[in-house]
Amino acid sequence: MTEEHSTAGTAIDTSVPHSARIWNYWLGGKDNYAVDREAGDQFSAIYPGIVDIARADRAFLGRVIRYLAGEAGVRQFLDVGTGLPTADNTHQVAQRVAPQSRIVYVDNDPLVLAHARALLTSSEEGATSFVDADMGDAEKVLAEAAQWLDLTQPVALTFMGVLGHVIDYDQARSIVAGLLDGLPAGSYLSINDSVNTSEALEEALRVYEASGAVPYRTRTPEQFAGYFEGLELVEPGVVNVDDWRPDPGSPRGPEIPQLGGVGRKP
Amino acid sequence: MSTVQRDTEPADSLGPTVSRMILGNQLHRYREAAGVSPDRAGYEIRASRSKISRMENGRVGFKERDVSDLLALYGIEDEETYAALIALARQANSPGWWSKYGDIMSDWFEEYLGLEAAASVLRTFELQFVHGLFQTEDYARAVTMLGNSAAPADEIDRRVSLRLKRQDLLTGPRPPQVWTVVDEGALRRPVGGRKVMRGQLNRLIEVTEMRHVTIQVVPFSRGGHAAAGGSFSVLRFGDADVPDVVYIEQLTSALYLDKREDVDHYLEVMNNLSTEALTPALTARFIAEIIKET
Repeated sequence: MTEEHSTAGTAIDTSVPHSARIWNYWLGGKDNYAVDREAGDQFSAIYPGIVDIARADRAFLGRVIRYLAGEAGVRQFLDVGTGLPTADNTHQVAQRVAPQSRIVYVDNDPLVLAHARALLTSSEEGATSFVDADMGDAEKVLAEAAQWLDLTQPVALTFMGVLGHVIDYDQARSIVAGLLDGLPAGSYLSINDSVNTSEALEEALRVYEASGAVPYRTRTPEQFAGYFEGLELVEPGVVNVDDWRPDPGSPRGPEIPQLGGVGRKP
Repeated sequence: MSTVQRDTEPADSLGPTVSRMILGNQLHRYREAAGVSPDRAGYEIRASRSKISRMENGRVGFKERDVSDLLALYGIEDEETYAALIALARQANSPGWWSKYGDIMSDWFEEYLGLEAAASVLRTFELQFVHGLFQTEDYARAVTMLGNSAAPADEIDRRVSLRLKRQDLLTGPRPPQVWTVVDEGALRRPVGGRKVMRGQLNRLIEVTEMRHVTIQVVPFSRGGHAAAGGSFSVLRFGDADVPDVVYIEQLTSALYLDKREDVDHYLEVMNNLSTEALTPALTARFIAEIIKET
């Protein structure tokens, strides 16, 4: 494992709700505390669709990784913003298709990192590794990822529901570009995130932020599409996450302001 | 019937403890859905309200006839559902591998082995000793002697064999993920003497190589740490409806906590320990250093 740090980090502040634990709650997980469940309930009281978003995001991740490891033949993954382990994490989906897949998870949250190191264990043939870094620190992320991934071969770079943590859109764009710059032609980028087309979601996010939690920003649909500028979009392009290569016969969930896409670096 | 989907697995794979927990949970939900009070349910099976509560919490075994009567009372007529729950009741009453050690084992430890065998993730904090799942035979013998110095030799042998048999869990077909945080003191205390301890520390390094085992040391240099009390474990089960269980061993009994407020508190302490401790990779190096000094 790439671990130059002596510990996963500082003590956890449990008096404020914690983003990864709230998502865990919405997904029906057990790794959350009362403060998270209260914040999660307060959020869903204003915007009930958040639970649909949480599920749709996970389903999108599953379909994208299956496509990348399958049809696209990618064997290396750089997963930025890991979150707490849940049922189908990136490496599990990828290694089910191609057991030799190598996955580097990037996060800077001590609780997430501790769980990831203990529980996101790789298949025998492949590898999982963990980078403790801010996603904005492209130099560090790429340097540590390079210990596990061959950065002369295609890599799938994913940001699943994490770029809204970057308040400024231009900065979010440069984070994506900075990491993609370090990857060779034939690499892929996949992102999903919330867009600002639901007033109820905006209101819920305002209340959430006022509770002392780390703020989260939605983008306009045009801004979201902008992340893929200069890339070849994989069919069907930038669409609602539920409409990205849905599994045949699976029922479509309720309407949610959540876009997703996959692009290939030419 | 998504929550009883595991009834299709071989009967011995689930174990009695978790079968009880899952069945209890299902009965609780059916009773609530049917709007039946615990008193009324108790009356139906000639038992008390508190018996119903113990059944629903998975604390006691089930008579098939009771399960059948309750399902009828709750209006569950679907044959498949009925058959699945009866199958669970049977599993809940089947003895675990540990039952043959019943004479040297307290009930509370027997219950713990049931939970351990059924857990999907086992998180432990160890203050004094290396965790039982990782002990060498010599170390296990030394620990056993500490607690049972007056026992005859053959009883000591059987106690040690129970400890080692328990470790089959790690190499079995569906091992839990074991995530242990251990205080440096437990690695420094030469239980059984320095030679035994060196063997034990080498064994620890071996188990860190197992994919489903994670060990993290809290070094003395970390100062005071989050577990103000003593050793404890948090057991997680694969079934989404079965709550985490906190297990705290005491001298003559054990505490099982599964109320959300209690579990929250211990989970928080365990999480703090995991983030304060050395990472798994640094832990392996740290243990190698201790071996040189032992």
